[in-house]
Amino acid sequence: MAAAAAAPSSAAGQDATSAIAIVTNPRTVTSDLSFLELRKIFLGEKQFWDDNSRIVLLVRAPVARERDVVLTKIYRMGEAEFQQYWIAKVFRAEVSSKPKIVYSGDMTRELVTALPGAIGFLPADEVGPGMKVLRINGKLPGETGYPLQ
Amino acid sequence: MSANFVRLAATLLPALVAPGLVRAQATYGQEATAVPPTTILGFADVNYLETERDVEEGFVLGQLAGHVTSGLTERLTFFGEVSATARPDQYRIEVERMILRWDFNDQLKLSGGRYHTPVSYWNTAFHHGLWLQTTVSRPEMIKFGSRVLPVHFVGILVEGGFPLAPLGIGYAAGVGNGRGDEISRGGDAGDANQHRSVLATIHARPPEIFGLQFGAAAYVDKARAEDGFDVDERIFSAHVALTRERPEVIAEYARIRHEPETNDESTDTDAWYLQAAYRLPSPADALKPYVRAERIAVPGADPLFSPFDLDYEGFLVGVRYDFAPLAALKLEYRSEEFAGDERENSLWAQVAFTFGEH
Repeated sequence: MAAAAAAPSSAAGQDATSAIAIVTNPRTVTSDLSFLELRKIFLGEKQFWDDNSRIVLLVRAPVARERDVVLTKIYRMGEAEFQQYWIAKVFRAEVSSKPKIVYSGDMTRELVTALPGAIGFLPADEVGPGMKVLRINGKLPGETGYPLQ
Repeated sequence: MSANFVRLAATLLPALVAPGLVRAQATYGQEATAVPPTTILGFADVNYLETERDVEEGFVLGQLAGHVTSGLTERLTFFGEVSATARPDQYRIEVERMILRWDFNDQLKLSGGRYHTPVSYWNTAFHHGLWLQTTVSRPEMIKFGSRVLPVHFVGILVEGGFPLAPLGIGYAAGVGNGRGDEISRGGDAGDANQHRSVLATIHARPPEIFGLQFGAAAYVDKARAEDGFDVDERIFSAHVALTRERPEVIAEYARIRHEPETNDESTDTDAWYLQAAYRLPSPADALKPYVRAERIAVPGADPLFSPFDLDYEGFLVGVRYDFAPLAALKLEYRSEEFAGDERENSLWAQVAFTFGEH
C-alpha cells in the first residue's frame, strides 16, 4: 500500500501549515495533478480517475478555513453560487451525486483512507497516515508556487 | 514477483483495508460508500398574471416538480423527474424524465428512457426547475408543450465528454421514437409512425472561461401532420451560453426544415432567442435584472406547423430578487405578438423555489 507523501516542508520558502493539501486514497493511481485537472475534478466535470475508477469527491462543510480556500481558489464561487452550481449539476443529470460533505478533519481522514477513489482536502498540518498528498502543478503544500495557500 | 507473494498480498490486502472501511461505515453510515446516494430535489412556483391576452388572469399555480437521483451501483444511476401541473379541471401528472444510465468513464455513458431532448440548450439546462432559470418562463420555442421543438425524447442515448481536452468537448447521440401523434409530445407508448428519430449534439466548455458553453445539435425524424401524411423533419440548432452571474448571456437558434412526403417544396421555420442578465454588485447583489428578445417565423405552407399559428415575437424585461438562498421573486413585463395579431402586454410576478436534500 502506498505510503503518504512526505510531510509538507516549510523549508522551501512558504508556511506549510497555512497550505491546503489535496489528499486521496492511497490506492489512487494519480500522484500529480495540474491545477486545471484539479478544478475539473472539483467541478464534477472529470468524474473518473485515469484507471476508470470513480472519483468520490469530499468537500468540507461550512464553516472551515480550508473550505473557504477551496471555494475561492478552486471553485471561484461564493457559498450561494456553489450551492446553486451543484443543485443544477444534479438536476441536469450531469453527475450522479453532489460531493459528499465531511464535517471534520477526522471524517475527511477516515473516508479518504477507507474509500477507493476518494479525494478531499485538509490543512497540510492535519494530514494523517494512510493517505496520499497530491502534487498540484508539481508542487507539494509549502513549496513555492503551490496554488492552495 | 513470486506467485506466493501475490497470493499473500491478495489475502492480506482486504484485511488491511476492510477494518478502515468498516470503521468508517460504522461511524459515518451511508457516506462511507462510493455508490451515489439517493437525492431528492423539488421545485415549485406560484405566479400572478395581469395581461391583455385572452387568457385567465390572477393567481396561477405553477408546476410542482420532483426529481430523484439514485445510485444502484457505483456506475448505474437512475434519474427521475415527475411534475404536477394545475389545469382548469385537474392536476396533470407527468413523468418528465426517467433515465437509467451506465457510466463506463468520462468519455462514454449509455442510457435509456425519457429525456428532455438535447436539441435545445435551455431544454437540458433548466428542465422543470424554474428556480434555476433567471426568467419567469421558458422561451416560446422551447416552452412546455411546444410544437416547434420536440421537448421530449424516448429512446437511448450515448454521451460523454473530454473534460481535459482544450475545448472541453462533449457529445451525445441517440435514437428514439420521435414526435408522437400529438407533435408536442414524445412517443411515450411507441413510435407514432415506425420511423425512429436520430439526434446528435456536440458542445464545448472551454476551461479558461468558466460558465461558457457553445454547441450545436441535429435531429432527424418523420412526423405525422394533421392531414395524416408524414413529413420529413430536420432540425439544426446552435447555442452559446455564458452562465456566470456577471453577466449571463444565452442565445439559441433553430432551423426546422419540413419536407412533406407528397413531394411539395420543403419549408424552413426559424426560431431564436437572446437573453442577457446581470447580477448587481454588492450591496444590491440579490437583484438580477434581465431582458430577452425572441422570434418564431413559420412559413404559411409549412406542412406540420401551419395549422397551429406558431408565429411569435416577444420582448421581455424583468428583475429577479433572490430573497432567500433557495427562493426567488421575479417581476417581469412582456410585450408579445402571437400569430401576427396585435401586440399584447403582460405583467408577471413569480415566486420560484427549490427544496430537498441541499
